[in-house]
Amino acid sequence: MSDRESSPSFLARHQFLIYRLFSLSGLIPVGAFLVVHLLTNASVLAGPGSFQSRVDLIHSLGPLLVPIEWAFIFLPMLFHATVGFIIIANGMPNVGSYPYVSNVRYTLQRATGMIAFAFIVWHVLQLHWLGTPFGGGKFDPHHASSSAATALQPMIVAILYGIGILSTVFHFANGLWTLGITWGLWTSPAAMRRASWISVAVGVVLGGAGLGALAGMRAVDIAEARAIETRMDDVKKMLEGKDTIPEEK
Amino acid sequence: MIQLVESSAPRSVRVRVLRQDAPGEESYWQHFDVPYEPNMNVISVLQKIAALAHAEDGQPVPPVAWDCSCLEEVCGSCTMLINGRTRMACSALVDNLLDEGDEIELRPMTKFPVVRDLCVDRSRLFRSLERVKAWVPVDGSYDHGPGPRVSPEEQEDAYPLATCISCGCCLEACPQFTKIEMVRRDDESQEAFEQRRREAFDEGFVGPHAVSQAMLFNAHPIGKMIADERMESLTSQGGIQMCGNAQNCVAVCPKHIPLTRSIARAGRAATVWAIKKLFDR
Repeated sequence: MSDRESSPSFLARHQFLIYRLFSLSGLIPVGAFLVVHLLTNASVLAGPGSFQSRVDLIHSLGPLLVPIEWAFIFLPMLFHATVGFIIIANGMPNVGSYPYVSNVRYTLQRATGMIAFAFIVWHVLQLHWLGTPFGGGKFDPHHASSSAATALQPMIVAILYGIGILSTVFHFANGLWTLGITWGLWTSPAAMRRASWISVAVGVVLGGAGLGALAGMRAVDIAEARAIETRMDDVKKMLEGKDTIPEEK
Repeated sequence: MIQLVESSAPRSVRVRVLRQDAPGEESYWQHFDVPYEPNMNVISVLQKIAALAHAEDGQPVPPVAWDCSCLEEVCGSCTMLINGRTRMACSALVDNLLDEGDEIELRPMTKFPVVRDLCVDRSRLFRSLERVKAWVPVDGSYDHGPGPRVSPEEQEDAYPLATCISCGCCLEACPQFTKIEMVRRDDESQEAFEQRRREAFDEGFVGPHAVSQAMLFNAHPIGKMIADERMESLTSQGGIQMCGNAQNCVAVCPKHIPLTRSIARAGRAATVWAIKKLFDR
């Protein structure tokens, strides 16, 4: 790939394959991760303990977690975003002249894709990698609900999260519909209309889960959640035999 | 109802035309005041502009150039942007256009190079049909014998696709189909220029019309003999993958061709084709 001449021709020669992988990556693994992520987070509605036990399950992967994150979440997401930006750059939205429903969806798909990308970069930096410089605390897997609730307390953060979650969910739900056309699942106009309802249902369920998770996190009583999480952490340590006597706090 | 229309009919129609004297030159607006007649279409408006030979301000101007032929929405040559939307000038009736606004706006298509005024060069549209081999391969002077049987169901499925008039409306409205305008260099022969232009066209999106024609001929009993060549073309650069599912093509098609059905079928065929290519070699 060091040869400057060969890189455009590589993309040109494999354009079909790259665009199909782009389409697939939106469903698996990126879309699948989104579904698991939003539903996991919505479990906070059943209480901080319920959310903590799901976070513990994910973190039981231990040292495997980081390579799995990169292989199945970050790298596919970066690939999807890179090809997505190329697609956006090559299109010429014309919803002003042709305000048809599917053309509005075409334009929104691109707009929400860009919003989702910006939101996810911020979200990962804020809660996962950096923390305070990006408007809030860092997510602590041992204190899942309380640390998330602290980070989401400012109203501006909550509003931006609401916009980010809804954009991401729209992008995924509408993307399911276009994916079905791209791969040739639904071909007739009637089948496409039925498929639209599948997209609407997926969008409503995931949008509800996402906003529910956001509201649920913000409603958490931080002190109480912290107490529950500490107790769970102590039990875990005890079971692992690392710490037989719980520390006094 | 007819009485009502006639009593409220205007005496003249104001028409705004985006003009351009030659390829690559600056375009400019010119206004015309055209005497109204009932049942006019945009072609008769342009004929009246040619007869007037002067703009709204009385200044003598050369007549507006435009393409047309059949005047019954069959030849596909009079496509232009009328009040900002791509359609055929012959079937665009002035009485309906006046419902959209007091003025009529005429512009050349934006996805093809302007030759002059409302005339554009649609070579790329026809190059796309060549790219997907949109024909039945029956060259030769010998007797091919009777054709294969086609069931009425297959005929009904194919017929709408065969009504394409190559007007280019679908391409104009497609947000994924963007203009490719090439200029011949001074030191370049016409042949060399056309070769270079063909190569540039072949890198761009073939467009919904060509995808639909490929599906038409891939369904034809003799046409399907080169189905693999069409699939190879549809899965190469600028092929079916460039579709962004905005579905404007089907919304603006004057012949109501189920273009998105063709596109989705091409997507399915491309999926099967890619799997075959991967595992059958």
